[in-house]
Amino acid sequence: MTAGPSRATTLRDYKERLLRVLVVIQQQLDEPLRLEDLAARACLSPHHFHRVFTGLTGETLMGHIRRLRLERAAGRLKLSRWPVVQVALEAGYETHEAFSRAFKAGFGLSPSEYRAQRSADGRLPARCGIHYRDGGALRDFKTLRCGDRAMNGILKQVAPMRVAFMRHVGPYDQVHETWDGFCMFLGKEGLLGGGARFLGICHDDPDVTPPDKIRYDACVTVDDRFRPQGEIGVQVIPGGEYAMATHFGPYAKLGESYRRLVGQWLPRSGRELASSPCFEEYLNSPETTAPKDLITDIYVPLASQRP
Amino acid sequence: MKTKKAKPTLSTQPKLDLCQVHKADYATPKKPVLLDIGTACYLAVRGQGRPGGDVFQARIGALYAMAFTVKMTRKFAGLRDYAVCKLEAQYFFVGDPCGIPMDEWRWKLLIRTPDFVKQDDLDRAVATLLKKGKDQDVKEVVLETLIEGRCVQMLHVGPYDREGETIAVMKSFADSRGLKFAGPHHEIYLSDPRRVAPEKLKTILREPVTPA
Repeated sequence: MTAGPSRATTLRDYKERLLRVLVVIQQQLDEPLRLEDLAARACLSPHHFHRVFTGLTGETLMGHIRRLRLERAAGRLKLSRWPVVQVALEAGYETHEAFSRAFKAGFGLSPSEYRAQRSADGRLPARCGIHYRDGGALRDFKTLRCGDRAMNGILKQVAPMRVAFMRHVGPYDQVHETWDGFCMFLGKEGLLGGGARFLGICHDDPDVTPPDKIRYDACVTVDDRFRPQGEIGVQVIPGGEYAMATHFGPYAKLGESYRRLVGQWLPRSGRELASSPCFEEYLNSPETTAPKDLITDIYVPLASQRP
Repeated sequence: MKTKKAKPTLSTQPKLDLCQVHKADYATPKKPVLLDIGTACYLAVRGQGRPGGDVFQARIGALYAMAFTVKMTRKFAGLRDYAVCKLEAQYFFVGDPCGIPMDEWRWKLLIRTPDFVKQDDLDRAVATLLKKGKDQDVKEVVLETLIEGRCVQMLHVGPYDREGETIAVMKSFADSRGLKFAGPHHEIYLSDPRRVAPEKLKTILREPVTPA
């Protein structure tokens, strides 16, 4: 007897999982939705859920929820006699003014102007094609196309890497301060250069986690003789199969590359994500390289394929 | 007994970036230009072999290990911080390089370094690196001062093995001005060949010249 072909996780699978989440969002539009719960519904690790969500729908989770609430509010303005302030409160806004601002930004009209208009489209632009529906019945949505800005991910087998690391907790754009002290310590010990690799482990997604809570490890590969000391620890970046892509340009735009790799390339690759964090490798030095010329490889861990 | 840990005392002087200070030396013209290159200090290591080959890569590793160790040791001691510059190389050919097998190419790899870095700094760095079990190659890294003077310089965009085309343009420019190449050929690597496509690689080419 021969084993059947291994079943690839297809774009369709990812879409079906995300659809379950999109239905829950519509049904519980007024509940505080927890990322962990939504990720669990999609059978995705919280590490990666948000990137898959934005990669496939073209919206952030919060952006999606805000848009649906505004669309629902537009419907209520038309179909009910509720005062605007009540519609505002029901849409999750604390003040009339905040609601009016958001409404005008979306629909181009103030809530009362909108109400007075005879015909008005209650939908805001959305590339995924999903709009607010009473009752939350959804059957399909349009996934963001890869288009010209497709990410060329490749599969890469990575050997486990022993690294010295220093933990940074705080905004991602301040990690250079941690790197500064870390490199000074390693450099004076003779641990930089000569093949040492510069890596970063991102434990949190800057699109989801508040800036002051983002955990990031600045890492440099070391041999077995290196021992942890002071603020510098040792860990092993797990080996295995990773999806890898190269990001060209400023570090501030790394998020876009992660979203394209995880949210667009991966669902079409037939592979499933592992729950461990992503890491990145810095190939040139920000000290002497213009931001537009920086080169960073990004690595996303893949679950091993089941036979 | 508790020993007091050494704490870095940070220098208050701004970080020195030699590429910015000597911006004119790093000009990237699309057509050849004449430049006067002043005195410049480098960490340097010599070698022979195919560019990009094992010996070449090992020497790059040794050069960077020294560059980082010297810099960070000084920084930790509260001395002035500076940026580690990009990799440069000089090639020494007798006659036309086309006739010499690449394995026999002789070169010197360079990283521009502030002149306040002294031999003592290198000696300390070698001791630190050897203690960490790094390759003996680090002992080959020396301090060197180059005075290249009048040079023809031009940006080469493309694979390294097509530099000949750019050099030909530089040569006819020199000829037309009554100058000849005096050697050694010097190049400054602006791109990372690991990820940048060969046709997009940017390299500054520099040829010291004398009156023909």
